[in-house]
Amino acid sequence: MASVEMRLPAVHKPVSPAASQSNRDDKHLVVPGDVITSDTGFMRGHGTYMDEDRLTASVAGEVERVNKLICVRPLKTRYNGEVGDVVIGRITEVQQKRWKVETNSRLDSVLLLSSVNLPGGELRRRSAQDELAMRDYLQEGDLISAEVQSIFSDGALSLHTRSLKYGKLGQGVLVLVSPSIVKRQKTHFHNLPCGASIILGNNGYVWLYPTPGHQDEEAGGYYTSMEPVSLADREVISRLRNCLLALAAHKVLLYDTSVLYCYEASLTHQIKDILKPEIMEEIILETRQRLVEHEG
Amino acid sequence: MRDTPLSNCERRFLLKAIEEKKRLDGRQTYDYRNIKITFGTDYGCCIVELGRTRVLCQVSCELVPPKDSRPTEGIMFFNLELSPMASPAFEPNRQSELLVMLNRQLERCLRNSKCIDTESLCVVSGEKVWQIRVDVHVLNHDGNLMDAASIAAISALSHFRRPDVAIQGRDITVFSPEERDPIPLSIYHMPICVSFAFFLQGSYLLVDPCEQEERVKDGLLVIAMNKHREICSIQSSGGIMLLKDQVLRCSKIASVKVSEITELINKALENDKKIRKEGGKFGFAESMPKERITTLKREEAPVEMADVKETANEIVNRTETPTEVVSSPVLVAMGTAQVGEGIVNSWGLDEDEEDEPQTEDTKTDDVMVISDSEEEEVVILNEEAQKSTKLSKRK
Repeated sequence: MASVEMRLPAVHKPVSPAASQSNRDDKHLVVPGDVITSDTGFMRGHGTYMDEDRLTASVAGEVERVNKLICVRPLKTRYNGEVGDVVIGRITEVQQKRWKVETNSRLDSVLLLSSVNLPGGELRRRSAQDELAMRDYLQEGDLISAEVQSIFSDGALSLHTRSLKYGKLGQGVLVLVSPSIVKRQKTHFHNLPCGASIILGNNGYVWLYPTPGHQDEEAGGYYTSMEPVSLADREVISRLRNCLLALAAHKVLLYDTSVLYCYEASLTHQIKDILKPEIMEEIILETRQRLVEHEG
Repeated sequence: MRDTPLSNCERRFLLKAIEEKKRLDGRQTYDYRNIKITFGTDYGCCIVELGRTRVLCQVSCELVPPKDSRPTEGIMFFNLELSPMASPAFEPNRQSELLVMLNRQLERCLRNSKCIDTESLCVVSGEKVWQIRVDVHVLNHDGNLMDAASIAAISALSHFRRPDVAIQGRDITVFSPEERDPIPLSIYHMPICVSFAFFLQGSYLLVDPCEQEERVKDGLLVIAMNKHREICSIQSSGGIMLLKDQVLRCSKIASVKVSEITELINKALENDKKIRKEGGKFGFAESMPKERITTLKREEAPVEMADVKETANEIVNRTETPTEVVSSPVLVAMGTAQVGEGIVNSWGLDEDEEDEPQTEDTKTDDVMVISDSEEEEVVILNEEAQKSTKLSKRK
């Protein structure tokens, strides 16, 4: 039951400059306390403060300059929502006519009753009965995928699931990563050729699930299939989950291509070995090389 | 900021594991996590680590006029603060239920139990008495703040020294530590809180719950006791029904735990006193081990070596015998420990078995000799490599 595993540390292979990201030089990275500029002609934005006429950074991140405005975008931060982002969240409260959803942001997001699809896909005004039956649709602890509809003045996000691809999530694996490593793309729902599907939420929540067999049109996103998932699917999803953790540990941008390359690079190792530090480095190196070739 | 809610499957997993008498970190039902007590350079400063929960306590004193109702007694003031450093759920200047509960329990445990002799804190009756102020700050919240806070508070109070005073008529002279040695407080007994968490409507209990176990608990029972088996306070929260024999059983467990913890505190105090007397270096900086930053850093974990030999032998018996007989190039130097001495090298079992030179285990458990053969790869495991071998426990 309890096994002892031993490994000797190997000599670190020097990383070739081609494999390392070449655009690292033109990024202006700062840590809290670094002076960005002593020029007083700039306006200070988020993540900066004035320290005796010098603009200093207050967070660790990249400096962004838009004309006269300088701000620092932090590398590790809570999710800051933008309209149109796909997010995955967990219901924390059921209130009158709305649900509170936790999305890794500073405030809980809001999912209004009027922003969800009623089962059956009908379009009608929400009645009092609908309000009382809210708990039958979504309870505390349920996971949903949704899109950001708008942002309230205090920064809380208003979500909607008014499309058949959004809704309650069924069986799968949730992986939590930092929101800043999820790449912004046209679509965040991918059916990976390795045999699983992935939803890359912009808020850092990534959902892995077995590819559904056939689309159930009238489900409207609230029917969750409780059929047992086959072992092969489970292995694929476990491997993907470990690959995601490896990518997140090495700060590689997550998008469908990078996840796929990492999956393919990891096939030579056992699933549980992927999380070992040396093997993680090996896999990520190969992934990075393939990504550089792919772009170049 | 709101704490990340626990997912449904985590909740179910924890409850199911508790039903099967298993805990997340492998402890038994009545086991405490590792307690570490360190003292700072000032008298009265103490950090207690209960697993990953860290609590800092600082005791200070001041001369103040006494309360009108008790002119001959000193004043004890307790304050517990939850800083946002401890957990993202704690907000500064926010009076939460947990904070009130912890403060009240700390006061009840230390003030109402009369563990400190307040009469000895009186300097001039009716005019000047010592006010002892105990500040507890929570540095990291990983469950069971109450126990850690009470251990920290009583350790700090036992460690604290107040300045010496001399009274001449109506004049009070307070001596600085350089002029006259400061005097310790007179402590009658050490009350320590022991927390019991109840699950599934009181059918299962756990001692020293960690943070995730606390989130799924139904109720909490805190018993403050000293090593003389005197109960100083009992508090039950969560509204669960407890049976009489359950409470009695908990008090018995608490007495065992309290005597262990009191011994630990006394040992820590003794160590600190000894180091200070010998003139050695003391304080927080010295008590932290020199940590080197390596790429593969893991926490120290005790490894069960009981059945390693059997499992290793099993692996040996399962593998087929290698074709060539090669004497092991392993050199056992003085003072090194080696697990699985004289056993076949099973590192390469999962990968290419044919390529790596296999070592053959001899019939006797003699020390192996480095072979002089030039053909094979000689791998010498010397002391350096032994030290850098990492052991990880897998379950």
